[in-house]
Amino acid sequence: MLVSGLVIGVILGYLFQRGRFCVTGAFRDVWLSGSTRMLSALVVVIAVHAVGLFALQSAGVIQLGTGPFPWLASIVGGLVFGFAIILAGGCATGTYYRAGEGLVGSWFALVFYALFAAISKTGPLAEFTAGIRGVTIPDGTVYETLNVSPWVLVAVLAAVAVWLIVRDRRRLKAPVATLPARRTGLAHVLFEKRLNPFLVAALIGVVGVIAWPLSAATGRNAGLGITTPSANIASYLVTGDVELVDWGVFLVLGILLGSFLSALASHEFRVRVPDAATILKSIAGGALMGVGAAIAGGCTVGNSMVATAQFSYQGWVSTAFMLLGAGIAVKLTIRTGGRRLAAAAAAGAPGARSTVG
Amino acid sequence: MATKVLETEGQVCPFPLVEAKAAMDGLAPGDELVIGFDCTQATESLPLWAAEQGYPVTHFDRVGDASWTITVQKA
Repeated sequence: MLVSGLVIGVILGYLFQRGRFCVTGAFRDVWLSGSTRMLSALVVVIAVHAVGLFALQSAGVIQLGTGPFPWLASIVGGLVFGFAIILAGGCATGTYYRAGEGLVGSWFALVFYALFAAISKTGPLAEFTAGIRGVTIPDGTVYETLNVSPWVLVAVLAAVAVWLIVRDRRRLKAPVATLPARRTGLAHVLFEKRLNPFLVAALIGVVGVIAWPLSAATGRNAGLGITTPSANIASYLVTGDVELVDWGVFLVLGILLGSFLSALASHEFRVRVPDAATILKSIAGGALMGVGAAIAGGCTVGNSMVATAQFSYQGWVSTAFMLLGAGIAVKLTIRTGGRRLAAAAAAGAPGARSTVG
Repeated sequence: MATKVLETEGQVCPFPLVEAKAAMDGLAPGDELVIGFDCTQATESLPLWAAEQGYPVTHFDRVGDASWTITVQKA
């Protein structure tokens, strides 16, 4: 039932859009403001995923499997992908759901991401990608190296996630301001109320767990993934090969549809055209995202949420280097200087206008 | 008490927050910063920043589809 991919995608698109869930933001905040709140939310996603996936495996419902550790590809691909998501203004899922919100910059990023993922996986760069991914270390997972039950690591990760949630609660000096309610009942809860990021993270984890057996039932034994399905769409469009249209393709189309419907229902959809510089950054970021994710073997979903939950080295190492790549991009491209703004204010520029009231 | 208006419409995240922080640096305690924005994620990041800094939010509302305004007081 390929349509289950569409349903899971729509639910995820809704959660990402309403929850303002952004892994790029999580990585960026660490370097920009020292905030680890969204990074903590990512750990919650991984922990819920880990509990659920190993429970399904123990029950014999799914069969997890990780190969040897492609260390060089994880490092290089992670760095490139991490750098790229800052340029593009969102990771793979972030780009899908922002595209659904009507951000034209994300439409550009999405097209170039899918195209370059296909180029890197099955096109002219395929040989290079396979070559770098062929540099491996035999142990694929942390529990193989430690020679312990994966459940030991699941317990540690779950404890860390709980601690992070508790710690975050203590950081706020005041309640977070929310928008005034204009709707009531279900419409308010679904399309207006602020959703707690940790609740959203836990729900994304649960949906990700349910996704695996649904995907496996269609012959695709894998959990959530964005890059390969995106590459498959690009390849399908130029070859017409319907074999490429698998559960994952329905999943990513569902994310786009879900975020669009969610934004529309929340009065948050509007076609927003950025300036030329932002479009150029989106194109460059999208293309590099495709290349980086293909090399790393996944994006912030496939690697940072699903592979990490299986305690694969590829997941954790590529995620660490995505974080580092994002840091490099933040330092190079985001100027936090107040001087530029002060100068604009002094010149009477509309960007920063002062009035005395 | 001064009110400063910062229009960030058309800017994607994190720039509304980056510019808000920079603008806040130039204000005196009690001054208010009115930020207009159309990046959806800033509906979370701006009030969260205010809550973490202990700045009161005196006004926060929608202006239209995917368009918001928030007023943060420096404390």
